[in-house]
Amino acid sequence: MRAKYVMSEVFLGLWRNISMTVAMIITMAVSLTMLGAGLLLYNQVDVIEEYYQTNLEVVVYLDRDIDEATTEQIRQELEDSGYAAQVVYESKADAYERFKDTFAESEDLVASVDEEVLPAAFRIKMNDINEAPELQAAFAEREGVYQITNQRDILQQVFDILGGAQRLTLIVALVQGIAALMLVANTIQVAAYSRRREVAIMKLVGAPNWFVQAPFVLEAVFAGVIGAIFAFATLIAAKFLVIDGQFKDLFSLMPPISMQSILLLLPILTGISAVISAITAWITLRFNIKV
Amino acid sequence: MNVFIDKGEFVFFIGPTGAGKSTIIKLLLREEVPDKGKITVGDTDVTRLRRWKTPAYRRSIGCVFQDFRLLPNRTAAENVAFALEVIGKPKSVARRVVPEVLELVGLGGKEHRYPHELSGGEQQRVAVARAFVNRPLLLLADEPTGNLDPDTSIEIMRLLDRISRTGTTILMVTHDSNIVNQMRRRVIEIENGQIVRDQARGVYG
Repeated sequence: MRAKYVMSEVFLGLWRNISMTVAMIITMAVSLTMLGAGLLLYNQVDVIEEYYQTNLEVVVYLDRDIDEATTEQIRQELEDSGYAAQVVYESKADAYERFKDTFAESEDLVASVDEEVLPAAFRIKMNDINEAPELQAAFAEREGVYQITNQRDILQQVFDILGGAQRLTLIVALVQGIAALMLVANTIQVAAYSRRREVAIMKLVGAPNWFVQAPFVLEAVFAGVIGAIFAFATLIAAKFLVIDGQFKDLFSLMPPISMQSILLLLPILTGISAVISAITAWITLRFNIKV
Repeated sequence: MNVFIDKGEFVFFIGPTGAGKSTIIKLLLREEVPDKGKITVGDTDVTRLRRWKTPAYRRSIGCVFQDFRLLPNRTAAENVAFALEVIGKPKSVARRVVPEVLELVGLGGKEHRYPHELSGGEQQRVAVARAFVNRPLLLLADEPTGNLDPDTSIEIMRLLDRISRTGTTILMVTHDSNIVNQMRRRVIEIENGQIVRDQARGVYG
């Protein structure tokens, strides 16, 4: 009986104040979407790091006019240096093949590059990728070596971009979250005002505090849960339409964002949203309008 | 001021506006807490009552106001049942007790009317029924006849008198000299927060 009364009060309250309810849900949804995206990026950085840790190479590019003897010397030195687990020689022709593969879709670009331009290189799998700077220092000045690149340095830029994107989403989530909570507080005040007669009578006849407060708190929780579900739907849509859809090529550079980690966001977002909304509503009731 | 009111007494608080009559009601309901002094109702020290214990305390008190304070979207019976509902009494209790109480206040047959379909006197009867449905030890009435015509006022007073005879202590704040003079009950007159007269079987003066 009481549960039924509380529930009918919750929906009546939300409906009576529908524009505010919608505003509250939208801001919450935006905030939670950003929070969800931030969490996914955080997870993604870990996944990428793990993925590449074993596949990273240091590439030693050789001078274009290098002779075979020097090449062989360098290979020997690399192998003897103790840094390399595996040294693979890539001739100019190999490099050109790789280049053609990589840019197979841009025929003009392929056509404009001469086969001779691309340098031969040693592609080195390191024993420990963290020793790459030592190897770079040791061979940078070696005669016949044109340049040494550490793939991790390139990857570091990807991480920097991901990290930046992550910070951005979290800042937006925070700002929107504050706005959402202010809307919650405001909605609760309006709801309490429009029901002040019932509230006064309930308190007069000695209704327990939780019973007086429950409809308001549940209103906020309900909006929070709906917001979280919208946010979740947005993230799922983003996965299918953006990551696996329009920008597939761009995102295929990274390991895919797994469906599992997105699904995991539903309980996380719902839980965070419901709890924070409830606390905000309760604090509003307790300290602002003394229900 | 220092007052002792015995169980089952019927007491009028009179005095000019701003004398502090309504404050007494608020203090007894613990809507306000006094800076100093002590208020005891039954065994409860209201001044030292914890906030979270207030609801339970209020259940032992009924209260009637000048403006009735009924829920407009609920019928007479539902308004009375609401008082039971919010303190967690099962529906079966409400089904049994509510018609009884409405009968007692003389509203038998009008259970399903909404407040706007009832006269002022009838609305006040609903309010009295709601205040009395939990069989409180103490019934507070803040100018319960303030919005009613003289004849209706007397009917409400008869009702309160009947409730008083069941052993409920009644404490009524009023401006209505006719009623005070007719009832001939204990009268406590207040001015500027001080008792200027405390008379058993008194008149308005």
